[in-house]
Amino acid sequence: MAAPAYPAWVTRWVSGQWRNKKRPPALRPPRTLALADKVANRREQPTEATCITEMSVMMACWKQNDFNDAPCAEEIRTFYDCVAKAEKERKNQNEDTLSSRGNLPSSKVNKLLKRFPQITRYV
Amino acid sequence: MAAPSAAGLGQRLRAWLPRIIPVRWSRYNPSYLEPEVKKELYQKPSEELTEEEREQMELKVVRPIKAAPPSLSSSVFSDPMISKFTNMMMKSGNKVLARSLMSQTLEAIKRKQLEKYHKAPENEKETIECNPYVIFHQALKNCQPIIGLSNITKGGKTYQVPVPLTDNRKRFLAMKWLITECRENKHRRTLMPEKLSQELLLAFNNEGPVIKKKHVLHKMAEANRAYAHFRWW
Repeated sequence: MAAPAYPAWVTRWVSGQWRNKKRPPALRPPRTLALADKVANRREQPTEATCITEMSVMMACWKQNDFNDAPCAEEIRTFYDCVAKAEKERKNQNEDTLSSRGNLPSSKVNKLLKRFPQITRYV
Repeated sequence: MAAPSAAGLGQRLRAWLPRIIPVRWSRYNPSYLEPEVKKELYQKPSEELTEEEREQMELKVVRPIKAAPPSLSSSVFSDPMISKFTNMMMKSGNKVLARSLMSQTLEAIKRKQLEKYHKAPENEKETIECNPYVIFHQALKNCQPIIGLSNITKGGKTYQVPVPLTDNRKRFLAMKWLITECRENKHRRTLMPEKLSQELLLAFNNEGPVIKKKHVLHKMAEANRAYAHFRWW
């Protein structure tokens, strides 16, 4: 009798390859294993409030002096300076550089990645 | 070929639209320059001009100039704060009335201060300020709030958060408070110049209802200082 034509899985099972871990790969990636040209949309954390220390110092001075402005002139001046500096900082902050926390929002990252996409094929 | 002409058409349509849709601002070509109001600049001989002023003069030879608005004046008597206050007092465009009220107010301030001056003993005469413009500016400065409150909604609840104010907003609030105080909380038959002069003199001395309103705002900001972290700017 010729060699019986068993299906391939029978032979593989009988030989014990399946149990010795010679299996087809368990992980079958549904997508190609390559970096995409976009980042997931992440909710941007709000920046912190500026000039809180100066404000609290000024309010402490107010509490002591019954909300008169004349004795607290120095604190008020420092508060105004801090506010002006923060305002200038906000104006000068270019959108394309990193924010004060060192993160780029996901929309800008996506724009940059779109300009320089991943090369998938060479011609 | 259709793509570039479509983009050009779109741009031309957008540039043309304001001509059929009425716009309420005065729209000039960006090449138009602002009019120069200071007379001293033109009276200076050309050697004294700095580099930027020289460049500016040369630019003015070739560029067109915008029409000067009627509120802009080169007179020594014009004051932008007083003009702003007059405009805020104006009702239904009656600038003539608002301006006359403003001049009557300044006159009333001067009269009251002169009366005080002549009645005061010799040693106190220097301390009395008689210039109504100085009194007006100082009173406005005393009325300006330093910190304001803004409504910020977080987690479904609205909080009053202390927030720094811009200069324009402070000036506006001071003027608005003065005018509303005069219009609403006084006797019906007193005239506006009298009420305003009284309020301005009180504010000059850091007394009066407007200063009290400012203090109330500061107290509320101080009470809510725990919410200051809700701000994100």
